[in-house]
Amino acid sequence: MTLHSTRPDARTDLLHGTLDMLILRTLQWGPQHGYAIAQTIRAQSEDVLQVEAGSLYPALQRLARKRWVTARWGQTEANQRAKFYRLTAEGKKQLLREESRWTELVDAITRVMKPAAAPGTKE
Amino acid sequence: MAMFGWLQKLRRRRLDDDDFQEEIRAHLAIAAEERMAEGADPETARYAALKEFGNPLLTTEDARRVWTPWWLDALHDLLGDVRYAIRTLARSPGFSLTVVAVLTVGVALNASVFTMLKSIALSPIAGVDRSARLAVIFAERSTGRAVPVSYPDYRSLRDHLGAFTDLSGSSVAKVNLGRGRGARQIWAELVTGNYFRVLGVGAQRGRTLLPSDEVAPGGHPVVVISDGLWRRDFGADAGIVGRTVEINNHALTVVGVADAAFHGTTVVYDVEAFVPVMMAPVLGFTFGSQHTTASGVLSDRAAALFYPEGFLRPGATLAGAAAQADALWATLARDRPLADAAERLRVVRFWQTPSGAPTYLLPTLSVLSAMGLLVLMIACANIAGLVLVRGVSRRGDLAVRLALGATRTRIVRLLIVENLVLAVPAAVLGVLLAQHALPLLVAQAEAMAAPERVFFNIELDALILGFAVAVACGSALLFGFVPALQSARVDLVSVINEDASPRGASRGRMRGGLVVAQVAVSLLLLVGSGLVTRSLDAARRAYPGFDARQVTAVAMDVRQNGYDEPRGRAFYGKLLDAARAGTGVESATLAASLPMALLDTRAQRVEMEGYQPRRGEDLAFMSNTVGPDYFRTLRIPLLAGREFEDRDGQGADPVVVVNATLAGRFWGGAANAVGKRVRVGSRWRTVVGVAADLKYSRIDEPPRGYFYLPFLQSYRSSMVLHTRGAGPVPALVEQARGAVAAADAELPILYAKPMLQTTRGGLILLDLMAVMLFVFGVAGMALAALGTYGLVSYVVRQGTHEIGIRMALGATGRSVIRHYLGRGLRLGAAGAALGVIGALAVGQLLRGVLYGTSATDAVSFARALAIVLAGVGLASVIPARRAARTNPLTALRHQ
Repeated sequence: MTLHSTRPDARTDLLHGTLDMLILRTLQWGPQHGYAIAQTIRAQSEDVLQVEAGSLYPALQRLARKRWVTARWGQTEANQRAKFYRLTAEGKKQLLREESRWTELVDAITRVMKPAAAPGTKE
Repeated sequence: MAMFGWLQKLRRRRLDDDDFQEEIRAHLAIAAEERMAEGADPETARYAALKEFGNPLLTTEDARRVWTPWWLDALHDLLGDVRYAIRTLARSPGFSLTVVAVLTVGVALNASVFTMLKSIALSPIAGVDRSARLAVIFAERSTGRAVPVSYPDYRSLRDHLGAFTDLSGSSVAKVNLGRGRGARQIWAELVTGNYFRVLGVGAQRGRTLLPSDEVAPGGHPVVVISDGLWRRDFGADAGIVGRTVEINNHALTVVGVADAAFHGTTVVYDVEAFVPVMMAPVLGFTFGSQHTTASGVLSDRAAALFYPEGFLRPGATLAGAAAQADALWATLARDRPLADAAERLRVVRFWQTPSGAPTYLLPTLSVLSAMGLLVLMIACANIAGLVLVRGVSRRGDLAVRLALGATRTRIVRLLIVENLVLAVPAAVLGVLLAQHALPLLVAQAEAMAAPERVFFNIELDALILGFAVAVACGSALLFGFVPALQSARVDLVSVINEDASPRGASRGRMRGGLVVAQVAVSLLLLVGSGLVTRSLDAARRAYPGFDARQVTAVAMDVRQNGYDEPRGRAFYGKLLDAARAGTGVESATLAASLPMALLDTRAQRVEMEGYQPRRGEDLAFMSNTVGPDYFRTLRIPLLAGREFEDRDGQGADPVVVVNATLAGRFWGGAANAVGKRVRVGSRWRTVVGVAADLKYSRIDEPPRGYFYLPFLQSYRSSMVLHTRGAGPVPALVEQARGAVAAADAELPILYAKPMLQTTRGGLILLDLMAVMLFVFGVAGMALAALGTYGLVSYVVRQGTHEIGIRMALGATGRSVIRHYLGRGLRLGAAGAALGVIGALAVGQLLRGVLYGTSATDAVSFARALAIVLAGVGLASVIPARRAARTNPLTALRHQ
């Protein structure tokens, strides 16, 4: 997951934004703890996206700070203590916004990368 | 309360650290569990989980950062940088202390000059807010001579000038305080009723003067006294209001004590009493009016009284005010025509007040400011040199930081912080130094001016502190940062190949450049201070046209003991006889005023027989009233005719003595002047003698017309007795004092001292400047020497290796020294050449303040060159000798 941009802050924004979106999306199916969130993203992307703990936990704090998620300690199915994150109403709205923006972005990139009628363009 | 709530919120919206650590532990536990479920043994599983997690510390740091606002983050970083900078600087205390010391000196000098500049130009009146914004009105003759405005004209201006919110006036005068033996002279201001209101000055006790104190001429026997007078003469008496003081033999009731910070509006003078202007005629001030009644003086348009001053209305401009004043002046000229009226009115800022202290001081102060800047430049060059030298040893450190991934911005920020850490203490120390040095200087000025009281507004304020911090940080950043940037551009290769890198060579060039620059600037400074000190020397040695050595001056005012004119004449006659009879006294005389007293006396309009003045020609000249034997006593040569004698009495023909300039201007020379007639006031007087010109107010004044009236035909109550004798002057002074006491034992003596001391008045300011310039010259020279020495000796020390090779190849110690001396002198010569060019240019600017010294004065230039080149030579020879004495093998092994 490395998108390059000339402006370093723009790059991290994009990176942060995308990771935030992925986390929110994961939480849509119900409260989960950090490890599970990382595993879910990894599994769903068929091992392409590996979210490191070093990015995941600061991202969760970011989301909590913006009140898009809330956290509460609980027990896992294997009866281990873990902190569970739950999507708030505001978080759901944010997810919808992020999704539509993402779709727009992907469409735009697709149009650039695979021009429908642009013969003669070099690869 | 709001603050507390905000803090609480800040605290709540923070990462819960314990909770976060627990979350990490939970994460690791779950991850390990999962691996164990896949069959790993507990140890391997835990290790793998940890490895996968990465760096928990960094993660915590990042998570924490999510919660901290950006500015707190930046502050945190900054504090870290400051801590690091202090640690680094503490590791090289020699460097750090030198930079701080050099900057401190630079800041102290500049803060001193700035304080004086501020006290004269920016806030000239202590105790008055925004005093620099005050606007002043004066009348101007066609010759450009400024004249004060009369009281009736002031009234018209005050009532009709819309550009001013209000207009007040004050005229400074020396008055007698008290009566009899205890009497002394103080400075007083005759002020309008709205004076305190316009300036916004209050009373700490009682009241200030009010418009109701400006109604009836002679009808307001009240006074407001200064805090100083209240404390010194009345022991800060709580019941001061209602007591009476004697001023010029009139009992005035004290109605209040002015605010402690207020010292009147006459810059440099310490004014101690404020009297309603309505009392002026009663107290004996006629302002050149021919009227003698109280109401007459205040209604006479010819009685020049003061320069009205006030604040402009918001939005009003000086030009607009001037236009209004001119229109009003034209109306006045039509309605109440006046022979010999000034041509026009001018409106200026306070610091441009004609004949005010700022007018005298500003040119010299600007020279001082320029020198202050030069010293600062030297200080900056010093710092640049130090940083450059240190940069070499820091390259390793910086290269490691770069290799560890620090960005260049980060390193540059670190270097900036490092410079600021040095600059801030330097600013504080510099201000402290200035604050301790300035009072010494002022005390010296006060001692020189005694018994007259002077006041300099040298209080430390936010403006001065801000200035000092700006100067220190500005120079530390500018001159510390550029070389630091050069050090920041390190790459690993150049660190490894220490001296072979081309960048090493460019640094060498920069070092050489710094030596050249420092030599140039210090030469400039030395030439500048040399020129000014030589000009002061010339001024001090210059012959003012009279010989004050072996002459005494004893001042008195017989009105203080209630003498009228006939009794006064009798007293002075008796006094002259007694003084002349003293043993060892060659001659004795009387004079109304002393020459070289800095300020001009009032000019008086005259008419020349047979001379048709051009329209608007300025025929007013200063004059003195003197007794018989005046010219003999002061050894002023008479070019033609005779001097006043005892026979020029009341009944005899009215006579006058003119000076050479006057005789030359109207009659084409001294010889033709004798016998011509001059009208002074209402009487025609015959010229009986022509005296050589003197310096009447200041040593640097141009020649000007001047005339003398005989005391016996023009009585004054306040006179100075001069005696000349061969014996020791202090004994002569005591003898003269005794003569006064013999004539009237109860008459207060205002002062009795050698005349040399009284004529030093005209030199006080010059002396003060000389002291400051000397300090500047020494400081600049010391800094330049230090800097040059440091750089040159560093270059030599860097070359220890090279010296070793040379010596190993058979060079003698002598040739090594010659080599380095040659190199140093070449740099010195380049700097000196630049410095001479600069000094020639600066000399042209100095021309206005130089007296009796050419701007290209060879002695000043030669002296400065010798000092600078000797400094460079020493700085090269001493370290080269030390290097040459080392064993070649040691030097070679040094690498």
